[in-house]
Amino acid sequence: METILTVEGLGKSFKERQIVKDISFNVKRGEIMAVLGPNGAGKSTTIRSIMGILYPDEGIVKFHQCEAGEIPRNKIGYLPEERGLYKNVKVMDMILYLAELKDYPIKKAKERALHYLAKLGLEGKEKVSVEELSKGMAQKVQFIGSIIHEPELLILDEPFSGLDPVSQEVFKSEIKELAQSGTAILLSSHQMNMVEEICDRLFMIHRGQRVIEGTMIDVKNEYANFKCTIRGENEAAVLERLSHVSRVEQKGDVSIVYLNQEVVVPQWLKQLPETLSIQELSIDRISLHEIFIDIATDRHIIKEESASHA
Amino acid sequence: MRNSFKVAKWEIKRNMMNKSFIISLLLTPAFFALFYFVPQLFGGNDEKKMIDVFIADELGVAQDIEQLVKDEQLHWKVHVTDLSEDEMGQQAALEENAVYIPLTEQALNDGVVQVYKGEDVDESFLFEAYMLEAPLRQLQLDQLDLSDEQKNVIAKGVSVQQADWQELDNGGELLEDDNDPLKQIIPGAFAAIILFSSVMTGMMIFTSASQEKKEKVAEIILSSVTPGELMQGKIIGYFVLGITQVIVWLGIGLPILAWKSDLPIIEYLFVPQLALLVILAIAGYLLFAAIFVAIGATVEDMTSTSNFQGLVMMLPFLPLIFIGPIIGDPSGIIAKIGSFIPFTAPAVWIMRLSLLEEWPWIEIGISLVVLFAAIWLVMKAAGKIFKIGILMYGKNATPKEIWKWLWA
Repeated sequence: METILTVEGLGKSFKERQIVKDISFNVKRGEIMAVLGPNGAGKSTTIRSIMGILYPDEGIVKFHQCEAGEIPRNKIGYLPEERGLYKNVKVMDMILYLAELKDYPIKKAKERALHYLAKLGLEGKEKVSVEELSKGMAQKVQFIGSIIHEPELLILDEPFSGLDPVSQEVFKSEIKELAQSGTAILLSSHQMNMVEEICDRLFMIHRGQRVIEGTMIDVKNEYANFKCTIRGENEAAVLERLSHVSRVEQKGDVSIVYLNQEVVVPQWLKQLPETLSIQELSIDRISLHEIFIDIATDRHIIKEESASHA
Repeated sequence: MRNSFKVAKWEIKRNMMNKSFIISLLLTPAFFALFYFVPQLFGGNDEKKMIDVFIADELGVAQDIEQLVKDEQLHWKVHVTDLSEDEMGQQAALEENAVYIPLTEQALNDGVVQVYKGEDVDESFLFEAYMLEAPLRQLQLDQLDLSDEQKNVIAKGVSVQQADWQELDNGGELLEDDNDPLKQIIPGAFAAIILFSSVMTGMMIFTSASQEKKEKVAEIILSSVTPGELMQGKIIGYFVLGITQVIVWLGIGLPILAWKSDLPIIEYLFVPQLALLVILAIAGYLLFAAIFVAIGATVEDMTSTSNFQGLVMMLPFLPLIFIGPIIGDPSGIIAKIGSFIPFTAPAVWIMRLSLLEEWPWIEIGISLVVLFAAIWLVMKAAGKIFKIGILMYGKNATPKEIWKWLWA
């Protein structure tokens, strides 16, 4: 797959504080790449640096279709995290202005706008004033504005935030469709379930630095290990002595036993001591959501896990 | 630059379709017209009414008077009457809109003509009645049996006046027209309207930039254009809006003025001097527009604007403090100081040039250089402030922060 965007060694500080440090990744045509991380991790700073809205202190942002240092604004679609539209204008005028700024033919833009308005459930709203739209509707209009000019690279900063589940689904399928038609997509999100469902690759940052990177399948294989949740009064020390255990967490009478990658679940279950108190027991995989929370709350399972795999 | 024009076009379109802009566009001249015409409506009625003027014509000047009334276009209806002076007094008390003037031998000998006027007749009638003096005086002179030469000498009288040595130096050839102060004031007033209107629309730039920030549109727009282009686009767009305003105002105002007054306004307006005045007005706009757009980008919530931003917004009104001294002495030291402060220069020059007969070209030249250098600097600074300010969401920038951005 052809690479559209490469970010290399990106760094940015505000005052004395380093916001992002040594961020490197690339985005390929037809691929959905996710930048993940808790609030304040540096996602928006990374995206704004790519868009040339902020100037990075170090590192290179290269768009492969043009010369270094140049931003092909007309080929990029951008949905910023801070969303807004001019209030006292009509929906169609707003979209056409955004298309005009991208040098996209107005007639074609109009057709596309009507097509997408209908597709996103806003049929007949083109003459409505923006201020009459609900938040979700306005977000859809903005989304249309960001893809109206058929961008080669689409950058979406938190595209799902503030949307109801139905609209989230609509956005999800739309983003997937765009990727299938060859658009390179870079998105940032908190919603791990969404990311898990649509992304091909992910890049997780915390405190401005990379913590996890890779394709969705690799990341899941590597980090989404099994965990066993047991309800019953058990001592942590007893659980820790079991095989293949990397960590134990206890809250009241619930213990979560994190297992390492080599574990074979039926064997492991067999060797559980009879002295254990078990009211309930379940085994499942660590979700991307938990990995995310882990990183955000500095519980370091990732570090332990990756150390054990190193 | 192309992107700037796209932004400009958008700002123009957005405002032109905005009801409040259209309303203010049309209402402002309507208000001016109202203020102009309403006093006339109330005060003007009496003037039009014909006044019955009764003359006891012992002196045989009735025909002369009728001719005078015709020449001077007075609203008099002259009647000749045989009433005695006493009867006239009684009659005047009865009739409200009549005037009785006994032109008797007695009056001529005393040199005093009594005027008996009805209650409704305006005091200004007496000024009109002064025109009776000339024919009566003539009559007095005739009765003295003087030679024509003697009559002429007496009629001419003696007057004292100031000798205009400046004009004599120039060969005394200056046309009378050049003394007409209106010839300079009209282009000046025109430039002042442009400056006023564009500074007012300049205030709209402030609102526009601040709104862009508040409504968080800036980041989307900045993914397509550079901050510099966005800023330029706004400045150009609002300039066109300001000029549109001037055109609409003048389009309504000029015909009315030309119709209501006898001044050759169009002739006086389109003189070469107008070019310089308009350049000054545009320079003033550019300076303030750059300041407003930058300050707008630092303000998100207008209700919590700091004193600093408020003070900066007052800058366009600084020239007001110069009005008095300039009218007093257009070449005085205060006028000169005002001419070299960039923020006051456009307005001060427009005032001075409207009043000065000889334009001080060297001063104008130096001042223009200072002014355009200041515009260049302010635009640069505004660009820096705008670039950072417009993307800073959630709070107003402090003067300290703005200062830091300037040197970033």
